[in-house]
Amino acid sequence: MTVVQVSAGWVPLAAALLLTVATAAAALDGVLAARAGGRPLGEGLLTPAAETARLFRQRRRTTVAADLPLQRIGGAGLLTAALLMVTVVPFGRWTVADLSVGVVWFNAMDVLLWAALWLAGWGPNSVHPLVAGHRFLAQALSYELPLMFALTTPAVAAGSLRLGDLVAAQSGLWFVVWMPVAFVVFCAGVLAFSAWGPFSAALGGGATGGVLAESAGVDRWLVTAGRYALLTAGAAFGATAFLGGGHGPLLPAWLWVLVKTALLLAVLVALRRRLPVVRPERLTVPAWLVVLPLVLVQLLVVSVVVVVRG
Amino acid sequence: MGLIGRLAARRTAVLVAEVPGWARTRCAVEQQVRSRGWRLADSPADADLLVVCGDPGPRFAAALDLVWAQLPGPRARAQVLDPAGVAAALDDAAAQLADEAAQRHDAGARPDEPPQGVPATDTSIGADAADAPDDDAPDDDAPDDDAPDDDADGAAPPAWDDPHPGSTDQDETDQDDGEAPGADEATGDSDHDGDTDDDSMGDGDMSHGDMGDGDMGGMDMPMPGGIPLAGGAGDEELPDPDGLDLDVLHLPLGPVLPHWPAGLLLHTTVQGERIVAARAEVLEPAADAPAGGSLHGTPAGRWDAVATLLALAGWADTAAAAARLRDAALTDAVPERESERLARRVRRSRLLRWSLRGVGVLPEGDAADRLAHWLAGTAHGQPITLQQVADLVTGLDLATARLVVASLDLDTTAREPVPVEGA
Repeated sequence: MTVVQVSAGWVPLAAALLLTVATAAAALDGVLAARAGGRPLGEGLLTPAAETARLFRQRRRTTVAADLPLQRIGGAGLLTAALLMVTVVPFGRWTVADLSVGVVWFNAMDVLLWAALWLAGWGPNSVHPLVAGHRFLAQALSYELPLMFALTTPAVAAGSLRLGDLVAAQSGLWFVVWMPVAFVVFCAGVLAFSAWGPFSAALGGGATGGVLAESAGVDRWLVTAGRYALLTAGAAFGATAFLGGGHGPLLPAWLWVLVKTALLLAVLVALRRRLPVVRPERLTVPAWLVVLPLVLVQLLVVSVVVVVRG
Repeated sequence: MGLIGRLAARRTAVLVAEVPGWARTRCAVEQQVRSRGWRLADSPADADLLVVCGDPGPRFAAALDLVWAQLPGPRARAQVLDPAGVAAALDDAAAQLADEAAQRHDAGARPDEPPQGVPATDTSIGADAADAPDDDAPDDDAPDDDAPDDDADGAAPPAWDDPHPGSTDQDETDQDDGEAPGADEATGDSDHDGDTDDDSMGDGDMSHGDMGDGDMGGMDMPMPGGIPLAGGAGDEELPDPDGLDLDVLHLPLGPVLPHWPAGLLLHTTVQGERIVAARAEVLEPAADAPAGGSLHGTPAGRWDAVATLLALAGWADTAAAAARLRDAALTDAVPERESERLARRVRRSRLLRWSLRGVGVLPEGDAADRLAHWLAGTAHGQPITLQQVADLVTGLDLATARLVVASLDLDTTAREPVPVEGA
């Protein structure tokens, strides 16, 4: 299966697709929340629409001596990074940008989030967002290196950094089968850079509001929507790099990508309900002493297999 | 009201402020919020409604006014004095939110600039009432068996009303000279961190310390928004465990803060995100709370404590389940099967245990142990004084400090009124 780069005219459609899937993720989260609260599930389905209406109706809010440009750059950074991430992910036979360094591009975009969340915390000139921004950086110190090596693993196996080549290399066997550790670490990395679930210490997973403690209206919407978009982009990348991308019987390739992305995304969204938040200061030791060596061993195993197979 | 307004109303976010003694009312509000499909707000910026449970004293009321000024709008405010009035008050508030003409008027009448606070340490607000606590009968003491009992450890009784308790942390000299700016150049005038911060999520001024303006000759320092920049504390800076030279600020936590003991105001001095000194007080209600307003020592109180701690641990699902059990316990018996299932689920979580282990260590155990006791329904340890609370959070980062406070399950209605020394 060869991947072709489509014209730039399709970019809005790709963005709309990302936002649609992200909305579905938010609706799923709403349904799960409704179930936990003993409410009718249908009510949860409307959560993204209701929250969007609420925030679009709400006034923006400023604080004393806020650094507004930086705050807004940071706030918009999440959605921007997510949109840039999916540009390299092939949707079946088509891709928006067929970069020869697609994996590195994805990694670079997730590093952008360090700045985005920190700036969003810095901007309001207020203690709680600022502390939360720094807590995100502390968390990033724990997840970024394991995530990088987890991203390296499929690239080594495929002998290429182009996502189309990664998909082609999985025509026989999906990468998740022989690099499960890298896959799990990658998924944890997606949760972490989206500040989601057990890694949501910076975004109110502890009820302080975190980086969002001073944001209202459209500023809050951008960060919230950006978070779902990041989860979606991460799931799309994971489906492509580990779950075989468009490979699968019967269905067309693009539909397989969509199905795999949706399933992985649903698992990531649901994980939030299963687990409490891991405090960033407690995360560092296991991340560096357990996870990092594990993912390096995984990389070593994969490299040896690649060399032996020639 | 258009489609947008109707949709928005489905997700109304409610910031609940509980005055000491009105826990039952707060629980009724939370139950109503849940049953309407609304949600509880994380911060004033997140809120559409401010619901005050109880009759706040003057200082608490002043803090509430500042919180009110921080709601972005459309906004509405309600006060509820007993559980029976909750539904009507929320209906009324929802109608206010939907009234677009009134909301436009409210928006137009608000100042363009964000509100500036008054110092959290300013005890002069409503001084007449606050300084005469003697008429506040300690009527709540009797039923609360795990209340901070005054003579439990033979120490002086906690001075709930005393803004300047003699036992203040010795590092905290700066906290006490709020009325004497200039007396202490380096860290003087705590005035600058206003009550805006009372909800601890206030406007920008909270992140400014109070440092530096005195000894810098004042005008040389940039003062964004009229607030001096945070700076090092100079000679008074405490050694940082990481050897960093960090800015020092004064940050009040409470009294309006979700998942926080009612009326607790914790004055903290933070270096980076670490609390290096703390002093706790309780803001009083204006009138005596209705009898039986406190939940402490009841099954509902235990489940309330569980829900609070789980919410702060970032586990929304189990926190919601615990809150539902609490509401069941308020009206009826706790359903055996559900409570067993929740207790098992929480106990099985290694992640939670790992997260709470070593947090808020008292002689009889840490936060994880106390949670286990609540889940098992067994009584736990000694009551605790405000001074002990302040000592426990000193040296911790803000997030851990909040976990510690939640794990103590303070009863702020139990108090031993003492005459306040002249300020």
